[in-house]
Amino acid sequence: MELTPDDTVFFTVFGFAINATILFTWIVMAILTGASILITRNLRPDVPPNRWRTVLETIVLTIQGQIDEISARPDRRLLYFAGTLFLFIVTSNLLMIVPGWRSPTGSLSTTAALALAVLVAVPLFGVGSRGIGAYLHSYIEPNVIMLPFNIIGEFSRGLSLAIRLYGNVMSGAVIAAILLGVAPFFFPVVMDMLGLLTGVIQAYIFAILATVYISSATAVPDSVSAKELT
Amino acid sequence: MSIDWITVAAQLVNFLVLVWLLKRFLYRPILDGIDAREARISERMAQAEQVRKTAEAAGAECRAETERLKAARDEALQQARAEAAAERDALLMETRERLRHEREASEVERAEEARRYTDRLHRHGAAALVSLTRKALDDLSGETLEERIVARALSRLPGMAGDLKAAAGDSRDAVVTTREPLPDELCAQIDRAIDGALPGTKVRYVIDETQSPGLSLRLGGAQLGWTVEGYVDGLQAILDDAAGQRRQTDAR
Repeated sequence: MELTPDDTVFFTVFGFAINATILFTWIVMAILTGASILITRNLRPDVPPNRWRTVLETIVLTIQGQIDEISARPDRRLLYFAGTLFLFIVTSNLLMIVPGWRSPTGSLSTTAALALAVLVAVPLFGVGSRGIGAYLHSYIEPNVIMLPFNIIGEFSRGLSLAIRLYGNVMSGAVIAAILLGVAPFFFPVVMDMLGLLTGVIQAYIFAILATVYISSATAVPDSVSAKELT
Repeated sequence: MSIDWITVAAQLVNFLVLVWLLKRFLYRPILDGIDAREARISERMAQAEQVRKTAEAAGAECRAETERLKAARDEALQQARAEAAAERDALLMETRERLRHEREASEVERAEEARRYTDRLHRHGAAALVSLTRKALDDLSGETLEERIVARALSRLPGMAGDLKAAAGDSRDAVVTTREPLPDELCAQIDRAIDGALPGTKVRYVIDETQSPGLSLRLGGAQLGWTVEGYVDGLQAILDDAAGQRRQTDAR
């Protein structure tokens, strides 16, 4: 039994193996992009939104609302980043209901890549918001002794993001596969439904945590805010 | 559990590409559409606010116009009432004046009617009195009224001669006035009596149909009369007194 879709190689392009993780990621990308293009292709201000456009607006505005509740400085770039994280993960997880689907988030490579993206995005957003000096200064707060702990904490956050998502998705898929062999009719359905719920929750947690990390990096400390106000 | 770093790199690139794709085809169109719709809604709200303000201004103007019309109506009503009151007073005054004129005319007419009635009564009374006297004289003594009047006047004339001379002065023209022509015999008696009492006096006879039956003698500024005028006046007084008592009885 293969625990990760990385091991399933479909074909090779210029010596580069296209495994199930990459292929199904492309499928998710195609679905998301294609649906977005289809729904928003005839978008005009004078045309009332149809049902699908309303669904998309609701999704986007809900994500934006969540980010606004968390972040002290709402930024559209944060919406692009965190929203894409959520949509990619939730789509990958929800498509597990399709027979034969290998969720890319069931691959530690994918979750590591997403965690790496968050790990890189946090300093980028922090430097972009507060400046490089202020951002680097946050690593020696409250004093310089905390520097290694802050660095370790930064990496451990990314690691926990990757492991949490991978473990939940992979375990759900493995449990469903095992139950399918033991009791083919009832339990796999229940577990798949539970897997859908878990997938949505994990996507939400991953995106929210990424937003929290980035928001904490972009947040101005209280002492600095007080100085700016005075 | 292993990590394929090539796959990690590929997934990282895939994720970044997906971020770009969704930004290009999902977030921007949706957010731009929402922004455009909100801008349009804001514009419509601003227009609605403008329309509301315009409507409120129109409403205020309408209310002011209504108040003005109401005030004009009240003023016109008050003016009409004042004019009606003035017209009523004028009509009442005119009616009272007309009634007063009519009452005065009626009183004049009534007075004239009373006067004419009195004259008729006077004439009829005199005629009746004279007729009764004539008839009584004729039936009882076979004499006429004129004869008795002339006889009575001539019997009184000598006693009054002194007074007549003093009143006549130098005048020696005597005028005897009767209602009807006197018989020649009576004229001769009068001539003799006057000549006896007032020698040298010429007598002239005048007929006056408006005079009461009887005889009137005028000599210069003096005048003597023996007519039934006074009796008729007495009869009139009696009748007026009787009529007054009758009216008092009717009034009670």
